[in-house]
Amino acid sequence: MNRETTGDTVGHAAASGPVDTGNSLVGDVWVNLKRWNRKAIRNPTPVILEVLTATFSLLLFTAVFGEVGAFALEAGGYGGTDYVTFLLPAVFMQATMGSAFRSGIGLVRDLETGMFEKVVVTPMSWTAVFAGKAAADLLRILVPLFVLFGLSIVLGTAIQTGFAGAIAILLISLLVGLLFMAISNVIGLLTRDDEAVNAATMLFMFPLIFLSPAFLPLAALSDEVELLATFNPVTYGVDAIRALLLDRDVMTVIEVSRFGGVLDTLVPAVGVLLVLNLLFGSLSVLALYRASRSTVA
Amino acid sequence: MEHVAEERFSIEAKGLQLTYPDGTTAVDGVDLAIPRGEFFGFLGPNGAGKTTTIKMLATLLNPTDGRARIDGRDVTDDRRAVRASIGYMAQEVSVDEELTARENLEFACEAYGLSWRDRDDRIEDLLDLVDLAAVSDAPAASFSGGMKKRLDAATALVHDPALVFLDEPTTGLDPKARNRLWEYFRRINDQGTTIFLTTQYLEEADQLCDRLAVIRDGRIVADGSPGALKRHVGGEILEIQVAGNAAVPGRAIKAVRGMDRFDGSASITTEDGTIRITAPDASEAGTAVVLALHNAGIEVAGFDVEEPTLDEVFLAIADDDVPDLVGSTEPGEVVVP
Repeated sequence: MNRETTGDTVGHAAASGPVDTGNSLVGDVWVNLKRWNRKAIRNPTPVILEVLTATFSLLLFTAVFGEVGAFALEAGGYGGTDYVTFLLPAVFMQATMGSAFRSGIGLVRDLETGMFEKVVVTPMSWTAVFAGKAAADLLRILVPLFVLFGLSIVLGTAIQTGFAGAIAILLISLLVGLLFMAISNVIGLLTRDDEAVNAATMLFMFPLIFLSPAFLPLAALSDEVELLATFNPVTYGVDAIRALLLDRDVMTVIEVSRFGGVLDTLVPAVGVLLVLNLLFGSLSVLALYRASRSTVA
Repeated sequence: MEHVAEERFSIEAKGLQLTYPDGTTAVDGVDLAIPRGEFFGFLGPNGAGKTTTIKMLATLLNPTDGRARIDGRDVTDDRRAVRASIGYMAQEVSVDEELTARENLEFACEAYGLSWRDRDDRIEDLLDLVDLAAVSDAPAASFSGGMKKRLDAATALVHDPALVFLDEPTTGLDPKARNRLWEYFRRINDQGTTIFLTTQYLEEADQLCDRLAVIRDGRIVADGSPGALKRHVGGEILEIQVAGNAAVPGRAIKAVRGMDRFDGSASITTEDGTIRITAPDASEAGTAVVLALHNAGIEVAGFDVEEPTLDEVFLAIADDDVPDLVGSTEPGEVVVP
């Protein structure tokens, strides 16, 4: 019976007419999303570690910096805000970056195992292959973020902008995540080495988080740090999330006052993040396209 | 088959060339015309251009010159249609080790756009075919090398491609696993699938292929049926065992060369005290060689005349000193008209 089934279909591709590949864009996105999700579920250790890291970061930073932080907050114009609430955007960014950087590691593994080439040689559209993997990576980023939300509520943080604000916080995080996914993919394609991508995670994460208003208000830091923070994408992620948590304009690197309130932070922050995404997204798509055109190592 | 194919050839390539940005030319003017249903073998030493050729034919590399068509479709202009119609098994085993055998096949089915109604049956058939049904729900990471290769082969065939590229499919497998894959390749070829196989195992090519081409330094240097190639190269092999210490074989080679009986195309080698002369008329020269060795004071312990194996053909062709054989095989068995 097996042979019959197989035999019946063998001669089918003989005609030279148009080939119906049976693929649709949405279908192909789904196929790739499913594959990467399955992989993440089969190998949950990284996600579990990300959740633990996020949890410990929030608890540890609050415990260690809490007392000092309170003074700095007072001096930096955040009187009345508890340090946990102030710190939350920093831990959101840290969790997002850590998780986003794993995107490049998945890509490098695919290059190493030949799965990349195997996917290239199928009739699936490249857009769908990218989009499917990116969607799965973004879903994975959400896991530690949800845990952080839960934890922050337990610790007494309230989101002043309500449910819509919470959704917006997640979207901002994903926007930052997308940016660092693109960066890690470019690094992965340039180095073709997952340890290099791992090392780059640390290289990017620590300076970028410390050179931003993540732990302390910029007003409490030196002018040099404040200048560097202007050119740091994490600054915009932190400020946008903090504005949504506190329901007020918190951005100091770019002064905007035409929209009023939260929007004075959100509009420039989202703008900057979108531009950076466009830039690094294009770079990573270009690098992926090149890699798919010459798969000889 | 209901509809007769308009295209006679599954693969047609003309002047296929690939030069890397660093200036190395990996493939230099390869012509191919492979009819439908053929089991075609592509042989050559490491670095000769086998994989590069296969990658150009499989749309993974753009040729820097020349063109190739698969079932009449251009590999660069009509990439997606070509991809839908071919199966490709890379040299390195490529399966997703985090997924199970079944999930790997499912992903392949979906990637090739099989309708969901056909999927389950197809997956069961393939799992049976490559003998992985019993372990279908175990992650591929737990598989042996042979099992991974078989899974890899199965995923390349989910869509019943009319043409399958197999790049050294049995490298690193034990003989049992290799035999099993051979049987499987024969079966799909019997069912009408054209197969383009590269291999370093001459026995494999001899066993499976209808026709062979040998590539060396990016150019095809010989082609024809395994039998024709064997008959063509060297004709016969004369093996003479010499007795004595390690220096004797060297002296024996000198003595044989000193006879001036064999021209430059003959190969005279030595291995483990055996002198091996490959030449069209090696057996006729047997008596003269034994005499020459005797005169040189070398004791002959035994001698034997053999037909060349494909290994000998390969060694002779892969040797840079031997001129190209293209066009000198039997009529009708030559790749390039």
